[in-house]
Amino acid sequence: MNLAIILVVAAAVALGVILRLTVTRSLQAKGNSNSGATIRPIDVEAFRNLIDPAEDQYLRGLLPPTQFREVRRARLLAMAAYVQAAGGNAAVLVRMGESVLARGDPRFAEAARQLVDDALLLRRNTTVALLRIYMALVWPNSPFAAGRVIDRYEQVSGSAMLLGRLQNPAAAVRLSSRS
Amino acid sequence: MEPHSFLWHYLWMAPCILLALLAVFMWKRGLHREFPAFFCYAVFEAVGGGIIYAIDLSPQLPGTVYWRSYFSFSIVEVFIKFVVIGEVFTHLLSHYPPLARLAKVLITGLGVVLVFTATILAAYANSAAYWLISATRILGRSVSVVQCGLILFLFLFAAHFHLRWRTPVFGITLGFGIVASVYLAYWALLAGWLFGQKSYLLDFLNMATYHICVLIWCYYLLVPQKSAATSAVVLPEHNLDIWNRELERLLQR
Repeated sequence: MNLAIILVVAAAVALGVILRLTVTRSLQAKGNSNSGATIRPIDVEAFRNLIDPAEDQYLRGLLPPTQFREVRRARLLAMAAYVQAAGGNAAVLVRMGESVLARGDPRFAEAARQLVDDALLLRRNTTVALLRIYMALVWPNSPFAAGRVIDRYEQVSGSAMLLGRLQNPAAAVRLSSRS
Repeated sequence: MEPHSFLWHYLWMAPCILLALLAVFMWKRGLHREFPAFFCYAVFEAVGGGIIYAIDLSPQLPGTVYWRSYFSFSIVEVFIKFVVIGEVFTHLLSHYPPLARLAKVLITGLGVVLVFTATILAAYANSAAYWLISATRILGRSVSVVQCGLILFLFLFAAHFHLRWRTPVFGITLGFGIVASVYLAYWALLAGWLFGQKSYLLDFLNMATYHICVLIWCYYLLVPQKSAATSAVVLPEHNLDIWNRELERLLQR
């Protein structure tokens, strides 16, 4: 009896998720949302400083363990916010690249494909990095490195700039903030 | 043989006929080469469903023949459905090589977890007087858990990475997703023997859902879809110089 009810609830949730994603897809297809509006510039330098292991080592030596854990958690939360922004930008760039691919213009196809591939790798890395950050929040003393995210961010922004240049030689994409 | 209403006959045979027509149109348009597993599924459901229907209506054949046939049909159907899910998975990821490895690892891991869960659920199943009825219901419930989980994963994975579904692939997956989730609830209630004599109500719900899903497949595979939006992509705010300087500074560190 209980098992059947649990499975029925699970089935209802699954159906709800599938239908919701279907509606979202169809709305996106009709609206063809303005991808540029959702790009969030990221201060890459500040992010790089935040993930620097030497900074952590310095703070570990300077602060008592309890205080270090508090500071480390605060830094991890800030890190998560940066990574989420990078992941969000990657999603926007995937959509942007896909839109260009859908136009079927051979002049931009290669650059758009490169952008989609790079943005997907960045999105994958941000997903993994977020998982690691949340795990590190539980164990603040554990070692953590998000270097691959920043490296991938540089690569994907290069692809975005290339596509931007191809489509509009007078302009390009800005993904980082002024610093 | 028990008397059935016109609605019951319609809900059984209409999807079979529609799937047969869908298979014919797929063949004519060459879609059978692009989606061979789904094409096999459509043919199998159309032919197999018709045979089971005939056995159910035949007054000469005892109920045991029906249950044996239905059980055999279900086993083959399960196999074909998994192949179709694999086909959809391949189509979805074929344009995204960077995600192929991650997706394979995730879906393999998820598959193992789902099969384990389904096995445990099967072990806790209630039994009926006739073992074949129990076996059919337990098989249906266990397989629905795995299929529903896999299709839900496909939807969530594509949504997370903002992957672009091709229209026919999306239609096939949507239909299977709805069928899998409704079947999961259906088989859970049947295997739990919660509805007793009223289980025919569940049959109607299940058959109606399947009919809707067949219509979804017909729509997505046969109705010509509008081409993707061709408007120029609006690029984000431009600032190439600053970004280039930023990159150069980072690379020189």
